[in-house]
Amino acid sequence: MKQILHVFVKDARRFWAEIAISLAITGIFTYIYPHQWRDVNLMHRAVMFNLAAAGGMMGILAQVLVVLVPLSWWLLISRVIHAEKLVGDRQFWLTRPYEWKKLLAAKVLFLVVFLYLPILIAHVVLLLEAGLHPLDYVPGLLYNLLLITGVIVLPLVTLASLTPTFAKMTLAILGVVLLVAGIAALGSLLPSDTTGSVPSPLGDKLSTVVLFSLCGVVVVLQYALRRARLGWGLLMAIPAFLSVLAFGDPDQLLMNRTYPRPASGTAAPVQLQYVPDFAHQASTNTTNDPQELEINFPLHASGVADGYTAIIEAVKATIDAPDGSHWDSPWQAVYNERLRPDTNDAAVRFRIRRSVYEKFKSTPVKLNLRFALTSARTDSITQIQVPAHDFFVSGFGVCSPHVGWLQEPLGITAISCRAALRQPMLSYVSALWSDKPCSPSQSGPFTGVLGTAWAGSLETRPADFGISSVWETPLSFSNSWAAYSQGSVPMPRHLCAGSPLTFTQYRLAGHIQTDLTLEDFHLPGLDIGSTLLFMTR
Amino acid sequence: MNPITRAQIRTQSLTKRFGRTLAVDNIGLAVPEGSIYALVGANGAGKTTLIKLLMNILRPNAGSAEVLGIESSKLTGGAFSRIGYVSENQELPDGMTVGAMLDYFRPFYPTWDNALEQQLVRQFDLPLKRNLKHLSRGMKMKAAFASSLAYRPALIVLDEPFSGLDPLVRDELIEGLIERAPETTIFLSSHDLAEIESFSSHIGYLQSGQLLFSEEMAVLGNRFRDVTITLTSPSPLPVNLPATWLESQTADCVLRFVQSDYSEESPREMAQRFPSARDIAFEPMTLRQIFLAIAKSGRGSQVPVALEKKA
Repeated sequence: MKQILHVFVKDARRFWAEIAISLAITGIFTYIYPHQWRDVNLMHRAVMFNLAAAGGMMGILAQVLVVLVPLSWWLLISRVIHAEKLVGDRQFWLTRPYEWKKLLAAKVLFLVVFLYLPILIAHVVLLLEAGLHPLDYVPGLLYNLLLITGVIVLPLVTLASLTPTFAKMTLAILGVVLLVAGIAALGSLLPSDTTGSVPSPLGDKLSTVVLFSLCGVVVVLQYALRRARLGWGLLMAIPAFLSVLAFGDPDQLLMNRTYPRPASGTAAPVQLQYVPDFAHQASTNTTNDPQELEINFPLHASGVADGYTAIIEAVKATIDAPDGSHWDSPWQAVYNERLRPDTNDAAVRFRIRRSVYEKFKSTPVKLNLRFALTSARTDSITQIQVPAHDFFVSGFGVCSPHVGWLQEPLGITAISCRAALRQPMLSYVSALWSDKPCSPSQSGPFTGVLGTAWAGSLETRPADFGISSVWETPLSFSNSWAAYSQGSVPMPRHLCAGSPLTFTQYRLAGHIQTDLTLEDFHLPGLDIGSTLLFMTR
Repeated sequence: MNPITRAQIRTQSLTKRFGRTLAVDNIGLAVPEGSIYALVGANGAGKTTLIKLLMNILRPNAGSAEVLGIESSKLTGGAFSRIGYVSENQELPDGMTVGAMLDYFRPFYPTWDNALEQQLVRQFDLPLKRNLKHLSRGMKMKAAFASSLAYRPALIVLDEPFSGLDPLVRDELIEGLIERAPETTIFLSSHDLAEIESFSSHIGYLQSGQLLFSEEMAVLGNRFRDVTITLTSPSPLPVNLPATWLESQTADCVLRFVQSDYSEESPREMAQRFPSARDIAFEPMTLRQIFLAIAKSGRGSQVPVALEKKA
């Protein structure tokens, strides 16, 4: 312990300037970041008075600081690790009575005191500034520190342990960036039938575990043995593994396990049908890849049970032609298709190689669409009357109405919410718009068009990775503009103080697959308009 | 070497390769306790590599080494509290002052002697408040010496410690080193024979990674003689001369060579070999002359057999 403290004190004294820079940046970040939500109405007024630049400055500065904080860690980590560098054979400490475990512990202590503690304090302050109580989020705070370790600190420490100087570490980082970019570019160049992606829980977990483990092993190996070549060799396994993961896509293979076929007699959480009518016509469009087309299916949705929501996560298409030819698409992600009991429509789209489309387009085929569905049930419903000031919604966070926008001193034009350490629970939020401007005398009952918004996620982790501990979630309600009527211009609707606001929060209920089979189906003709548009780009 | 004396450094078949280059080739070496052992050889002979192997800075490809009874590959942490290592290329903790460096090193060593530290600071005239990165090369070496001698190490390992230093600094360092000699073992490398000749007790000669010999200085001095044989008539260089005769040459009636296995019997043997010789003279040689003879004979020819005898 004595040696650990001795090396720690030496580093703290020697790198006071780097520590001061890092602390200053973290301090400024902590001071500036809350202005994004604290002064939201002030910003609106600034925009109103054509001071948009000034109004947006704080937001830009906050985002710059989000980048500067890890950059300051980069410098700090480089300096403290390179003080007793692990590469080379001329270092003074190699022939001094250093014990590698204590040296490593001293470096960890340094990072705990001058990196983790300041950012933890910053997170606590940000939560307080956001109106959230830090003690309610202790597991999340610690989990986020773990994520910061895995995503930023450990990779930086690993590269520092394999390089002798800040300059070479910077080159190594550039090399890693180029390598990852190269792998991504290679992936896009390779002919592949695996267009699209699916929710990737396995890939993400595997990547995290491999990155974390290998970096940890390399750091310990370097301190114990100083074998840089071995370290680099192990580190090279990471891009190799990520390449395998990217090209192999294990989540494709495991979709049937993650989203099992329903047992006989079990009803799917939603029934999806394709009944062509005026509003439900499949179409084929070009994409930004000339070799790929996209087939859109407007579907009829029904059967979502009360208190539940069904989410279409992915779709897989299978085509069988009378001549026996067959085509399978990979699982492809579907975004933002959340279906409630009162939802009648859904839209899915899948990509198909142009050559495959050309092959099947002229004959009736059997088209099978398999949907990966997530079912979520209502966890809680919170109803409040919109106040003109900040309000707290349990399980969701603190929300701020945007007041005084568009020359309306009383109108609420939007609501932005802040959650601690992660996105809030998946929530369906509804409010009643008013077509008339708000007035002080206005009171219920409120009638008008319903505005709805989805926010949050079904993830149950205590935190998502973030330099800030506060996640901002804007609630963008539908129907915010009054529809066109002949001879009139569209007008914004108004959300007035006192209007009822409902938060319906969901928890994961399960995953399942469901099928939709269309016999004698003709692939829709290519939408010429979109093709011409594409050709003129 | 007295076989009873314990060896503070011992290597067996120690080998180190860098790619295809054999930097240290199958070296067997023993440094007796209390000795001042000088490892000499030309630049690139493998001295620094050998020392780095001993200090566990590099790992051998084959063979083994023991330092203070510890296998060199396990030489870490506390073991270095008994070893003082100074190298011409060693980096010091730049950014610290001399005083801060001494303050920093002090708690690492249970045997750190504050009085000796003060004495060394005075002796080397060290500027305690000057930053190490602003010191001259000579001053840096003095600071390194002070920080490596103040804890009275059982073994001092020095890699080209005097290289490139002015004579005054070199003498100061040698003086500081000699003062420590009675209580320690010193192992140092050098390519400058003059600087080590005056105080070394043992010597090893390294050439192209091979240890040509390793023995006491006195034995070495006794073993080499500059031999001049004056013959009665001009004669060509005899064939089949012993391999222990180095740099053999003849001019007119004079045959000259360096005998590397001189003993009390040598005059009689030489007289029997050259019965017609008018005169046979055996001159003692300086260390410099001995090494020049070895170095010249070693280039482009086989190493003299007798020189492979190890101490």
